[in-house]
Amino acid sequence: MAATPPQQTESPAFAEQSLYEVQQKVYPRAVTGTFAQWRWSMAWLTQVLYYGLCWLPWNGRQAVLFDLAERKFYIFGLVFWPQDVIFLAVLLIISAYSLFLFTAVGGRLWCGYACPQTVYTEIFLWIERKIEGDRSARMKLDAAVMSRRKFFLRVAKHGAWGLLALWTGFTFVGYFTPIKTLWTSAWSFSLGPWEAFWIFFYGGFTYLFAGHLREQVCKHMCPYARFQGVMFDPDTLTVTYDVTRGEPRGARKKGIDYRAAGLGDCVDCSICVQVCPTGIDIRNGLQYECIGCAACIDGCDQVMEKMGYPKGLIRYSTERAIESHWGWKEIIAHVLRPRVLLYSAILWAIIIAFVWGLATRLPLRVDVIRDRAILAREVEGGLMENVYRLHVMNVSEAAHRYAVSVSGLPGIDMEGDHIVEVPPAVDKVFTIQVRVPPDNGKKGANVIYFDVKSLADERVAVHEKATFLLP
Amino acid sequence: MQKLLSILWPSFLVAGIAEGLFFTLIDPQELYLLGEPVRLSRMATYSLGFLCFWAICAASSLVTWYLLRSAAEVNRRVGAVH
Repeated sequence: MAATPPQQTESPAFAEQSLYEVQQKVYPRAVTGTFAQWRWSMAWLTQVLYYGLCWLPWNGRQAVLFDLAERKFYIFGLVFWPQDVIFLAVLLIISAYSLFLFTAVGGRLWCGYACPQTVYTEIFLWIERKIEGDRSARMKLDAAVMSRRKFFLRVAKHGAWGLLALWTGFTFVGYFTPIKTLWTSAWSFSLGPWEAFWIFFYGGFTYLFAGHLREQVCKHMCPYARFQGVMFDPDTLTVTYDVTRGEPRGARKKGIDYRAAGLGDCVDCSICVQVCPTGIDIRNGLQYECIGCAACIDGCDQVMEKMGYPKGLIRYSTERAIESHWGWKEIIAHVLRPRVLLYSAILWAIIIAFVWGLATRLPLRVDVIRDRAILAREVEGGLMENVYRLHVMNVSEAAHRYAVSVSGLPGIDMEGDHIVEVPPAVDKVFTIQVRVPPDNGKKGANVIYFDVKSLADERVAVHEKATFLLP
Repeated sequence: MQKLLSILWPSFLVAGIAEGLFFTLIDPQELYLLGEPVRLSRMATYSLGFLCFWAICAASSLVTWYLLRSAAEVNRRVGAVH
């Protein structure tokens, strides 16, 4: 790092100045085109999934439910317990690596097309546009003094936003507590206090983020926006303005020989700035505020078409491609580079390990806890007894019967159920008294083993260690 | 407002991570509060737990913000430099 000169903090003017710029409101103009279609398709896809998936039934329960109260996660046929936290961790690692890979190849595809912040902002903007009109109408309305019309438009907009936000909050909570019960209790005004709190909390933040903060979330609050740059290289696809083709920019009459007049292809119409949801000028080059939504590409292409110029003055391209005037052929040829290959290899390795782990996951868990309240005690026949709590977790979706046995010391035997039955996806606790003749072990802790075997499938078996105390 | 957000937002993110880690490893029903087992529902414990994590993280962010003030700002407040 280069040395920086000492700052003059003594200056009173320095102390008085705020370092924050004054936030200008962004009024994104509506845009149509190929990428707008892609964005809307992704909005539909993600939101149909989000609002719909929680209503899907599966085996008489909710297909996707992260049941916090029962500490069990259901994802279609799979049931995850707190002990399966490793799968959740691996899933997060897979998501992170996918994000790295997509970013290295296609830039901020996540931000532009799939991030909830982008998607909800898009939906909220659509509502705003339907009620208040497009960019210029909204700017005029904001500047106007309060009138009956403005008041009603405002009420309609905030009302529609509020309803959607509330529904979003309700859906969110519906992934953590069964949504059908939640729905009935919502209508009979008997929601639990925390359910109600989280519905309004999540709904409130949706309203605030998508309705009011919008691009500021991406610019000031999103950690990914800050570090995505490190995944970029000169071959990463980004929304790029072709400087050599566009400059010098300037207004001109249609049909003139603008090149003879010393002008580039950019007509300086500022459409790319007007449609930008973060309010930047893409012609200044790659900026961290650019979320890669490609709205400026659609906007610019329409202008180029009107002017009769070739499309793609702003386009998906790479730094190197712009420099060396490459076409798609060369760009695609550079996709498979060491960084991409490395990310893909790691990603595939983790995915394969994840699927293998899931497929070979034993549908049975056993946990043995010695009863701490009772140490060793003598029972009839002079035998020594220890008491255990045997947790048998049936992780599968069918009821199972298991044989329980104990071993590890000569003459060891157990009282209590030798055959136990556990309903599907249930952790059942059995009390087991283990008895040993007093001279058959050493004084203090002895290692013993519990074996729990499924009667239906003997491969489903657990061999669990425990300690037996002798006085 | 921006100061408030710069305290509340990072602490919210970290509290989310802390909440996830803590309650994945620990069942709220096995917690003790002042020597008494926690009798709240799991939902309530998770929620209160999150709010507590958030408050603790926000306190840390608040101290960071407080210590980050420039010398000029501190001097101006105490009235030592005019």
